[in-house]
Amino acid sequence: MLKKPIIFFCLLILFSSNVSAPPVLYGITSGSITFRSDAPLELIKAISTELKGIFNAEKKQFAFTLNVNSFKGFNSPLQQEHFNENYLESNKYPRASFEGKIIEDIELNKNGLYSIRAKGNLTVHGITQERIIKCELSIKNNVVSIKSNFTVLLADHNITIPKVVHEKLASEIKVEVKADMIEK
Amino acid sequence: MTGIYMAIVIFYAAIPCSFAQQPGIKSFKLLDDNEPFKINCLVKTNEGYIYAGTTNGLYSFDGIRFKKNNFLQAGMKDTVTAIFEDNNNLLWTGFKSGRIAKKIKGKLEYIEVEEGDSKVAITSFIQDKQNNIWFATNGEGIYYFSNKHLYLINTENGLSDLHVRTLALTSNGDVLAATDQGINICRLVNGKATVNVIGPKNGLPDYYVTSIAAAGNNTYWIGMQEKGFCLYDHSSGKITIPAAAQSWSYGQVNELLVSQKNLWIATEENGLLKQSGMNSPAEFYNSSTGIQNKINNLLQDNEGNIWMSTATALIAITGNKLKLLPVYSPEVFETIHATLCDYQNNIWVGTDAAIIKYSFVNGSYTEKKYGFSSLNSKTDITSLYQDINHTIWIGTMGKGIILFNPETGQSRSLSENPLLQNASILAITGSSNTVCAGGLEGVAMIFNITGKNKIITEKYSFTNYNDIENVGNNYIYSIYKDSHGRIWFGTDGKGITVLDNGKLTTYNKTNGLKDDHIYSFTEDKNGNIWFNTEGAGIYSFDGKTFKNYTGTDGISDLKITALKTGPLGNIILVNKNGLDILNPERGSFSYINNKHGIGDINTGMGSVTQDTAGNIVLSTLQGIVMYTPVINAADHPKTIIENVQLFLTDVDKNVKGNFKYDQNNFQFNFTGLYYTSPDEVRYQYKLDGLDTGWVLTRDRNVTFPKLQPGTYKFHIRSSLNENFTNADEATYEFVIERPVWKRPWFIILSIIILLALAYWYIKRREKQLKKVQQLQQEKIQFEFEVLRNQVNPHFLFNSFNTLISYIEEDPAMAVDYVEKLSAFFRNIVNYRDQDVITLDEEMDVLKTYFYLQQKRHGKNLVLNISVSEEEKKLIFIPPLTLQLLIENAIKHNAVSKETPLEITIDLENKNRLVIKNNINPKISREPGTGTGLQNIIKRYSLLSNEPVLVKNDGIHFNVILPILQKLY
Repeated sequence: MLKKPIIFFCLLILFSSNVSAPPVLYGITSGSITFRSDAPLELIKAISTELKGIFNAEKKQFAFTLNVNSFKGFNSPLQQEHFNENYLESNKYPRASFEGKIIEDIELNKNGLYSIRAKGNLTVHGITQERIIKCELSIKNNVVSIKSNFTVLLADHNITIPKVVHEKLASEIKVEVKADMIEK
Repeated sequence: MTGIYMAIVIFYAAIPCSFAQQPGIKSFKLLDDNEPFKINCLVKTNEGYIYAGTTNGLYSFDGIRFKKNNFLQAGMKDTVTAIFEDNNNLLWTGFKSGRIAKKIKGKLEYIEVEEGDSKVAITSFIQDKQNNIWFATNGEGIYYFSNKHLYLINTENGLSDLHVRTLALTSNGDVLAATDQGINICRLVNGKATVNVIGPKNGLPDYYVTSIAAAGNNTYWIGMQEKGFCLYDHSSGKITIPAAAQSWSYGQVNELLVSQKNLWIATEENGLLKQSGMNSPAEFYNSSTGIQNKINNLLQDNEGNIWMSTATALIAITGNKLKLLPVYSPEVFETIHATLCDYQNNIWVGTDAAIIKYSFVNGSYTEKKYGFSSLNSKTDITSLYQDINHTIWIGTMGKGIILFNPETGQSRSLSENPLLQNASILAITGSSNTVCAGGLEGVAMIFNITGKNKIITEKYSFTNYNDIENVGNNYIYSIYKDSHGRIWFGTDGKGITVLDNGKLTTYNKTNGLKDDHIYSFTEDKNGNIWFNTEGAGIYSFDGKTFKNYTGTDGISDLKITALKTGPLGNIILVNKNGLDILNPERGSFSYINNKHGIGDINTGMGSVTQDTAGNIVLSTLQGIVMYTPVINAADHPKTIIENVQLFLTDVDKNVKGNFKYDQNNFQFNFTGLYYTSPDEVRYQYKLDGLDTGWVLTRDRNVTFPKLQPGTYKFHIRSSLNENFTNADEATYEFVIERPVWKRPWFIILSIIILLALAYWYIKRREKQLKKVQQLQQEKIQFEFEVLRNQVNPHFLFNSFNTLISYIEEDPAMAVDYVEKLSAFFRNIVNYRDQDVITLDEEMDVLKTYFYLQQKRHGKNLVLNISVSEEEKKLIFIPPLTLQLLIENAIKHNAVSKETPLEITIDLENKNRLVIKNNINPKISREPGTGTGLQNIIKRYSLLSNEPVLVKNDGIHFNVILPILQKLY
């Protein structure tokens, strides 16, 4: 007879802890990637809002992916065509991705602003490079917001630029990522 | 038992645990507000500067002072956990915060990387063969910079543990990382990091690796947490555990340092250990020998001193350079006049009527005393020598020479030479098969040693030199047989006599020697003979000339006990207080003295000996001191310009400076880095372009205020004495530019501009004068023209005709007419001299003229003037211009009732005077020169920039005159 309340109590603890436990898996609700090429002769800027990704707060692992074709906002349709066909060859390599793990050994279960670094594999143009990417991560009411700026060296990803447009395309591209994630 | 005495063992004792000691331990405390703070890491830069990373920031240490290296941003503070100098002499600092700073122009600046900073402490840096900088962290693994990015090697790459203690670069370019889980071999292959782990499976005795030190040939000493140390061969992967580490009981190894053949081991609990060989036990330096038990970091400075950091201090020891063996009491020391290091490196000392042997085994010693019954208790032993048969020759005062076989303990008096009967011996030297003995009253003899003499009873053959002039009856302080077989006799007051192939040569004051009392000889590696004198220092002799070294050359004490050639070729002078060490190539002296913790050195001439390696063995009050020179150690201060300041702000000292004329206040801060005895360093500086000579100073900075423009080169050199020959020198070149107005190009340009201005002015004036002249000419011509016109018969004829008609009809009008005519001519005369007149004045003339003409033509001649009275007064015009134009109009046109002539004078746009008349050409043209209008045009061209315009459209004739401002 005594056992029942104990079991009940245990269940209660288990249940309540389940309720208060922060979510583990997050998915992107809205995310954007902007890139900028600050070449001497031309500034190229484009944005994609089709960023997809998941984040496991417990394992501190994540994976983001993007359809390369989805970049918009080029200076001209011709530029977009060049971008997709000549540089990134988006028909051949339709997706760009970054997946990896957070370096810092910090708890990510409370509301707050965290400056973290992620080590992972960045795949652009079919070439995977191991990279460290620094980002600002804020957790507020179970919404995880990520903001990050990094550069991609074209040479790292075998993206060759014809000499003619050398002055128009920078050898490194600045990338800005913003994403909001909620529990999945 | 003829002449053979058994040695009597008087004393025998073994002291099991008497350790060698480190003399001259120096300890420095780092204090901030009297609170000590901790050193986390020690680094020596390529220049030789010691840097300490502390909980209070980065410090540089010059041997005297710690100088804090501040951040560029004032007030910044961070705990330094790693320091590194890269191949470009750039200093990197890693912090506990995980951040990294570079030292730029004397200030620390955090580096900013896109990838962000580590969140855990930086523990170590290296630069790989591709010049990439790597750094290890305590908890995140290993980072490296490559091609603009920062990369991380962690467990995902196979790193066995994220806590990396230290990094080391191998000979083949791999990176060894010491972690809590073995050694990790990191390698970059095509930009990808691969990691191989060496752990207990591979024979590593311990998981936990704390330190790595290169041991040469791609082998590395590995320090561990529990199991001591081992040797890892990176080429074969083999791990060897030395016998000394097989049952390690000294706790955690914190750091390893390789210095020559020795491995120094800093431990967590048991002080400092010196391992001289793989299998011999370690020597200890811990709290019982004046060093603390917990040693964190180790470093060897360029002079061979070993530095270590403990919890609260930075400690220096002389390392392997000096060793003190406190083997005897001060009472025994008083009796010692001779020492000997035998062929087994046992040390023998001569005491009253006995000799004592000190044997050193594994850092501790035993002692054995041998007495001689032939000597009375007060007999001084003056010299000890061991020949090739290992027989020990004992020179005495008044008792000749005693021979002693250390193996058998047998001894005898050397009685076969009658001269030795009750002789007093001053020195016994020798080489291979000869032994030379010198003493009082002409004792000068050489013994030949043969194999037979191994038996102590065997007689020696010998030669006495008591019949030689200057030698025979003198005191012989030293006899020396050199490598060429020459025999050198040093006498008391008769100079040197040398016996070379049977020929005797004497050198004394007549040969330039300042002192004829010669004490001892040595031969350097180039075959030069060196000797010391009683009071005039030392001499070197190359066979032709003597070179003298005295106090001004750097000898600290001219009372020299002995002269020896050290194992590295230095000439070593022993005096009461220490050693003066001469570098024969540089001619400079360095010193071992009380700064190293030694002193009270035995002044007995026979009390300095050398071990089998040539190291110097001294007898001091504190015990036996061994001096082992360190190979490649600096023996003079390294001169460094620490910074160059312009108005107390650092400028880049590594590039030639270029300054403006008012940037003229310079301060140079410099150091002669010599950790052994930093306070003995003195300096000479010179500023080429200002000073002509060197200025001696003890200060470490010099200021030059208000330097004049010019080219300068600052020289600074440092020395341990007043002798600056071959001293290490540092320089800084700079230029103070002359002010702009003093530079040649500016002066030349100014002259050119001035000349051009003058030229332009002269030209302009010339032109103006010409213009004025021309104007004058034109005016004269114009006057002439006007006059000629007015006195032309037509005008007069017409005027007179008009007058005649009036005289009859209207005499009053006639009078008026004549008055007007007269006024007209008077005006012409009045105005002809002037360049310009007002339009008002011109109008007066014109009106008079028009009156005269109208009287003739009546209403057929009309003149309309539409210029206001005010304007007339402001406008200037060359005199008689309008009169002439109207005269022309009347002259060229028919004036009749059918064809009236209408002339208008108009001010157009307030800037042009337009004289306009309708055209009715005359059938018969009045003759005229036609120069009138031309003349007006010319005059205007001289007076105005605007041209006179003449327009003829067939109906109207227009003359447009520009308005003149009054010019003259």
